[in-house]
Amino acid sequence: MKFTKILLNPFIILSFFCLVLFPPLVHAAGGDDSTDFLNDDFYTDTTDVVPETGDPIEPFNRAVFQLNDRAYTYVFNPIAKGYSTAIPFDIRHIIDNFFANLEEPVVFINCLLQGRFSDAGSTFVRFLANSTIGVGGLVDFANREIGFEPVEATLGETLGVWGIGDGFYLVVPFFGPSTLRDFTGTVIDSLALTPYYIYIDKFSVKTGIYAEKTTNDLSMHLGEYEDLKKLSFDPYVALRNSYFQYRKKIRDHRVFLESE
Amino acid sequence: MKKKLFVQITLACFFLVLPLVSHSVQRPDPTEQMKPFVRKVMKILKNADFKADPKCIICQRLIDVSRERFDFNEMSKRVLGRTWRKLNKEERDNFADLFTRLLQYAYIGKLEKYTGQKVIFKSERIRGKRAEVQTELSDGQQSVAVSYIMLLEGDQWMIYDVIIEGVSLVRNYMEQFKEILRKEKYSGLVTQIEKKVKQLEEERKQRFSQKNK
Repeated sequence: MKFTKILLNPFIILSFFCLVLFPPLVHAAGGDDSTDFLNDDFYTDTTDVVPETGDPIEPFNRAVFQLNDRAYTYVFNPIAKGYSTAIPFDIRHIIDNFFANLEEPVVFINCLLQGRFSDAGSTFVRFLANSTIGVGGLVDFANREIGFEPVEATLGETLGVWGIGDGFYLVVPFFGPSTLRDFTGTVIDSLALTPYYIYIDKFSVKTGIYAEKTTNDLSMHLGEYEDLKKLSFDPYVALRNSYFQYRKKIRDHRVFLESE
Repeated sequence: MKKKLFVQITLACFFLVLPLVSHSVQRPDPTEQMKPFVRKVMKILKNADFKADPKCIICQRLIDVSRERFDFNEMSKRVLGRTWRKLNKEERDNFADLFTRLLQYAYIGKLEKYTGQKVIFKSERIRGKRAEVQTELSDGQQSVAVSYIMLLEGDQWMIYDVIIEGVSLVRNYMEQFKEILRKEKYSGLVTQIEKKVKQLEEERKQRFSQKNK
């Protein structure tokens, strides 16, 4: 008697119904986002999901893409290949670290401008630790020993956070895929904020640094562009899509949730 | 009175917690299902001698093994999007076969460069019938983030997309196919994929004839 009364209690009945009727809801509630890989919308093309950023100047972009393709195939790739055989991986890795460390102040400022204070904090710690214990940034001590992973933040992203749209997809000569907003950000980030470009006056030295940095970058990613070209039906579209997907990934600062 | 309330709350808690517990008990774990599969593939790769295998018999073996964890049909369906619904059973099967062959050349070509990389399982998340298993492919110097997107079919988690450094393979092909479908319709797409597969096949053969000279 008493037991049935308990069972008929509205509170219990309600929770029982919740359990029976809404388990799917409970699962779906976790941070829904149409671009999430676990969301089926990601794969449907009923709405035209050509990147949120349009490509109105496609003919121009395609022409620049062709130019970059030639420049890559006949100039930059052979140089990077030679460079990678001449200089061992460890040294190239150190050079990579060195440049990345000098860019940390820019990352720091952008983190602050985006209101990502904990990321700004870890960038600050990274810069201090790597510049001192990491011998002027040659070793990424902060990541390897104390678990401060590199943070991504650029002015392009900052402008996005502030509500400024991408403008349009833009392929920049000798630089590659970007958008109007992001490329503007890149120019300001590097020319106005990055120490090795501000403190050096000579144009030829600046160019030399840029060339070295680019070659070094490229030497760490040999063969990737060739693979993309070989396996795609329209390398231009494949690269554009990869660019936007990759950018989304590096700008997603949410912590990966183990279960939802 | 107090006791009654206590019993009520306990019962309510029981009903609320039950689904969580039963889920974790009934549901197979995607990472646990991935592990033996990865071990199997690694074993084949370790013993493989690609250089002595111009016809790529190992490729066929890898594809066969892949079928136990990859749902190529589901992959084809997603890569075609709207167009898939217009195809009949036979066309669907043919397309799935063709797309699988493309993936075979595209990705097994990469595996040929296999030099003992390790797969590290990072984490997983499950939402309803879908799951993402995050792994890292590392050769000690550099590492690549590879995520597997899986669908629960019966009690098996089956892969239908691979995300490399944030770039979804299915989504990338889908966008390229969309443009071809718009311009050349479905038959044009099939012709293009056939051409690509043939081209990749030829390249592979040529590589071997050069080596043997």
